[in-house]
Formats: sequence, C-alpha cells, structure tokens
Amino acid sequence: MIGAIQKMLFPPPPKFYGVMGIWYFVDDAAKAVATLRQAGHKNVQVFSPVPHHEIADALGEGTSLVRWVTAVGGVLGCTGGFALCWYTIYTWPMVIGGKELFSIPPFTILGYESMILAAGLSNLLGMLALARLPEIRAAAPYDPRFQEDRIGIWVACAPDKAAPVEQMMKGHAAEEVQIHA
Amino acid sequence: MSQTLTPPAPHAAPVHDDPEKRPITQASLNDDVLKLISLPGKIWWAAFIFDLAVLGVALAAVRNLIVHGWGVSGFFRPVMWAVDITNFVFWVGIAHCGTLVSAVLFLFRSHFRRAVYRVAEAMTVFGVLTAAMFPAIHTGRPWFDYWLFPYPNQRGIWTNVRSPLEWDVFAVNTYLTISSIFFLVGLIPDVAAVRDRARHPVMKFIYTLMSFGWSGANYQWKHFYGAYLFFAALATPLVFSVHSVVSWDFAMAQVPGWHSTLFAPYFVAGAIFSGVAMVINLLIPIRKAFKLEHIVTLDHMEKLAKLVLLTSTMVGYSYLTEFFMAWFGPNKAEADLFWFRATGYLWPAFWTMFSCNVIFPLLLWFKGFRRNMVAMFIMCLFVNVGMWFERFVIIVTSLNRSFDPATWFHYTISITEIALIVGSFAWFFMFFLVFVRVLPAFSIAEIKETLPVPRRGNGGH
Repeated sequence: MIGAIQKMLFPPPPKFYGVMGIWYFVDDAAKAVATLRQAGHKNVQVFSPVPHHEIADALGEGTSLVRWVTAVGGVLGCTGGFALCWYTIYTWPMVIGGKELFSIPPFTILGYESMILAAGLSNLLGMLALARLPEIRAAAPYDPRFQEDRIGIWVACAPDKAAPVEQMMKGHAAEEVQIHA
Repeated sequence: MSQTLTPPAPHAAPVHDDPEKRPITQASLNDDVLKLISLPGKIWWAAFIFDLAVLGVALAAVRNLIVHGWGVSGFFRPVMWAVDITNFVFWVGIAHCGTLVSAVLFLFRSHFRRAVYRVAEAMTVFGVLTAAMFPAIHTGRPWFDYWLFPYPNQRGIWTNVRSPLEWDVFAVNTYLTISSIFFLVGLIPDVAAVRDRARHPVMKFIYTLMSFGWSGANYQWKHFYGAYLFFAALATPLVFSVHSVVSWDFAMAQVPGWHSTLFAPYFVAGAIFSGVAMVINLLIPIRKAFKLEHIVTLDHMEKLAKLVLLTSTMVGYSYLTEFFMAWFGPNKAEADLFWFRATGYLWPAFWTMFSCNVIFPLLLWFKGFRRNMVAMFIMCLFVNVGMWFERFVIIVTSLNRSFDPATWFHYTISITEIALIVGSFAWFFMFFLVFVRVLPAFSIAEIKETLPVPRRGNGGH
C-alpha cells in the first residue's frame, strides 16, 4: 500500500543529460561557473543552500523583474480600493453630519490597504511565475546536500560533450563530478 | 596545506562545553533546527491536551454567548466592548511584533533578527488568527459576519466605507493575508530541507507541496530574494497602518479618553512592546528545551530586551502625555475620566498597567538583568499582563464613565469573559505547539547567511 502511494506521489525522476559537479568552497564554485560560461556553456544552473553574490555575478544574473509585477499590482489595488469607495458611496448614499459623500481621508485608508493587499498578492504570483514554482518536473538532477552545505553546478549537454565539462569541473577542484548520460 | 582545505564531512557535529559558544556549521545547523521536527514527547502531549481542555471550556462559553446572547457575558450598556475588544486589540498588538522583527529589521539589515524572526512571524499569524475571532464572535451572530465585507447583494446595500470599523475589516484582513504569505514564503527553502529528511511518504508529500518543489537553484534564489525584499517593504508600512487603524476605532469616537491624535503612535508602540515581550516568552523555553543557546544567543535576547525597554519608555511617555493633556486641556469630562482611571473603582487595573508597563521595565536598564533569562521571562510575563490591562483600562473606563452621569455603570468581569481570555491563549498556543513540531521554528537559510562563507582563498573560511 505504502509502496503504491510512494510510486504515485514520487514518480521516478526524468532522464537527464549533462554533468553535475559538487563543491564545498564558494570561490572554487564561482570560478568554475565563470570558466564554464567562458567556454560557451550558457545553460549553467547552480544549486546552493544560500544565495552567493559571487556566483550570481559569475552567472551574469541581473535584478529580478518581480518588482514590476508588484508595482502593477499596487497601482491596480490602489485604484480598485478608491473605485470601490467611490462606487459604493454613490450606490448607497448615506449622508452623515451633512458632509460630502466623497470623503478623501477615509477613502485613502481603504485605497492604501487595497494597494498593499494587491501588491503583496502580485508579488507572490510574480515570484512563483518567475522562479518557476511550483517546480513540478525537476530541471536538473537533485541532491539533498544542496539544502545543507554543498553547491551543485549543472551543465546540460549531450553525452559526447560531457568529458571536457568534467575536466573543467575537476580542474576547479570539484569534490565530486557525476556524468548523466 | 591541502589537508587543512579538505571540506568537512557533511555531519561533523561540533562540540563545546559552553552551550552559548558551540560552533555552528551549515550542516550542523540543519541538524539542530530540524531536530525539533520529530515525534513529540510526554511533556508536549501533556501541554497540548491541557491546552485543548482549556480551549474546550472557552468554546462552551462561546456556545453560551451565541445561544443565549451577550447578556450571559455581563455586557450591558454602555460597556458593550469590554473584554472582547480588549482581547482583539491585545492579540493584534502581539501580532505586530512579528512583522516588526521580520520586515522592519530586514530593511534595516539588523542581522540579529535572523535567529528569532521565524518564531516572531509564526506568532504574528497565530496572533491575528486569535484577534480576528473576537470581532467575529462579538457580532453576536457570527454566521452573518460576511456582511462586514462589501459585496453586491439584491438589496443594493453597501458597507459604510467611512466607518473606522470598516477600515478595520480591510486593515486586519490585509494584515492576515500579507503576514501569512510572508511567513509561508519565508518557509519555502527551509521546508525543502525538511522534505529531504522526511521518511514517511505522506509527510514527504505534504512538505513537497509546501516547499513548491524548491531545489535551491540560482533562478529560484534570485526571484525569492527579489520578492522577499518587496514583502518586507510592503509589510513595514502595513504594520504601522494596521495598528493605527485599530487605534482609530477608538480615536474617531468623541468618548473621553479616546478622542486623541496621540492614539496611533501610542498604539503602535504598545503593540511592539507587548509583541517583543511575547517573543521573548516564547523563545526562552524553546532555546532551553531544545539546547539552541548557540543559535539564539544571549546577545540576541539582549537586543530584544533593549527593544522592550525602548518601547516601554514610549508607552510610558504616552501615558504621561494623556494625563498632562487631560489636566492642561479645557475638557472637564476628559480630566474627570483620567482622575477616575487612576483613583476610581477600577484603580487596580490602572495601577497594574502602569507598574507592569512603566515601572518594572526600568530594571531593563541593567545589563545583568537583560542577560538573566529567568528574570527576563518573568518580566515579559508582567509586560503582557500590563499590556492586556492597558487595553482593558482604555476600553472599560472610558465606556463606563462617559459625558452623562446618568449612563455611568459599575462594570464587573464575568466568568464567561474570563473563559474567553483564557481561551484566547489556549487557541494561540494550540497553533504554536503544533508549529514548533511540524515546521522549522528557526530560519535555516537566513542563519546560514550569517555564518562565515567557506572559501579556499580564505584558508577554508
């Protein structure tokens, strides 16, 4: 029974073609990434328990685009909050103390809260979409040591091109190199 | 040379006689934090069963309220808010500290937050869940609570968007949503570490879902921290706005003791004060029981104690300002109310508040006191008692002694109300007890960032 559940929930991993190198020292891993990219491997993926700036620099990563998704969400939320106040106050007019129906100070509070809510939700959705989460199918072979203290560098390549990648990784003091062919 | 630069074995457990100075490595940190996620022992089960028993009594009280009406609680005009709204404001206040520690201190790059923020964030989410129950029950007919939200209906009626109570609906629900997202997103990398160690297939499946299939890939980290910064940037003004809005539930009314522009900053400072005290109360037993003194160090605890001291002075300043304005200002009802607060029949509540929030915390000026965990634990209990009484004093004394002496009323607390107070703690701790056993109570990924980066160029560190 448990075996059947296990099979259903955790199907066998897909077949990968490429080379996975494992490092402990961050500077070695960063140099390996730079060398691999200089050698023309643009599809290098790095797995690590924490992000490292020097590896991000070696990968040539820019700033996340999630900020624009968040900004759009915030603008829409603020507009929506004010629009809700405006629409509801004229649809169900309640004159209190002879004051104007359109009252900017209280509407600002609702507009502000709606802005934060929509910006937060769009920030979440933007992050999930850009980071390709949830990751239903693994993009590379996974090793639980990447959640502890080891750094993995994955280069997807055809089996006949694996040998030079392996040499490059070993040249940068990889602790372990696995060829997936 | 090459020998010294050999990477350590993945689980080399560092040892040290002094628990505070036990060294941490990236792998040992996983072991230390994830050991909390295991089958609980007898003490945990005893605490959990006791908690559920207390909660059962409170639920019986809620059932009575709903079936027989609010009369059974002793609520009569004009004191219609009493303990319910006191509990609401108290728990919203408790919740605020989590966002302060996780978001505000993140923006200020205060590294000490990394060791303590997960507990504070969990406290935020559970605190808001506890707080939100009280207005929901207080409506008297909770099955109609959806009326609080603006939605199109056949009668063409909409909520009054100019009412502070409606602002509260928006503020508290936004806060619950954003703080829950912030908490769950922060958990993703750590839950991936739990997933990798889970043995039972069902647990592994649940943790896989919660971790969104996180692998620690570079593109995941890039967008994770891109979004995290914005969560912090959004949550920071939210903290200040939500408790300001809560304070305006009172300040917008022209009741003596409530109608003051001081209320927003006064409430925010009070919220952080009680929240940090509660974090300390939660952290002290956890770090002791699970031997985590090297992760949550005395230095971290002392920094939290300084936050308590700072906010205590702000709260004390607010108390004195209120009294000064009542004495100095032209409003006789206000002056009478403040004199009544300190000397009327509810004087024990006022002086408990003042002693616990202003006088006792003066001991925190002493370093030796701040670094004594037993003393700190007791002090923070007093602070929370004092802060509960602060909300009680604000609400009950003002309502029961308004402008017209004909409406004055002698309020006494009822058994039902006491059941609600105790039940709110049971409800909160039910979530918290489960949390420490099923999710990483400390942020593995963020604490790792404070450890020395292993570099060959640095001789291994």
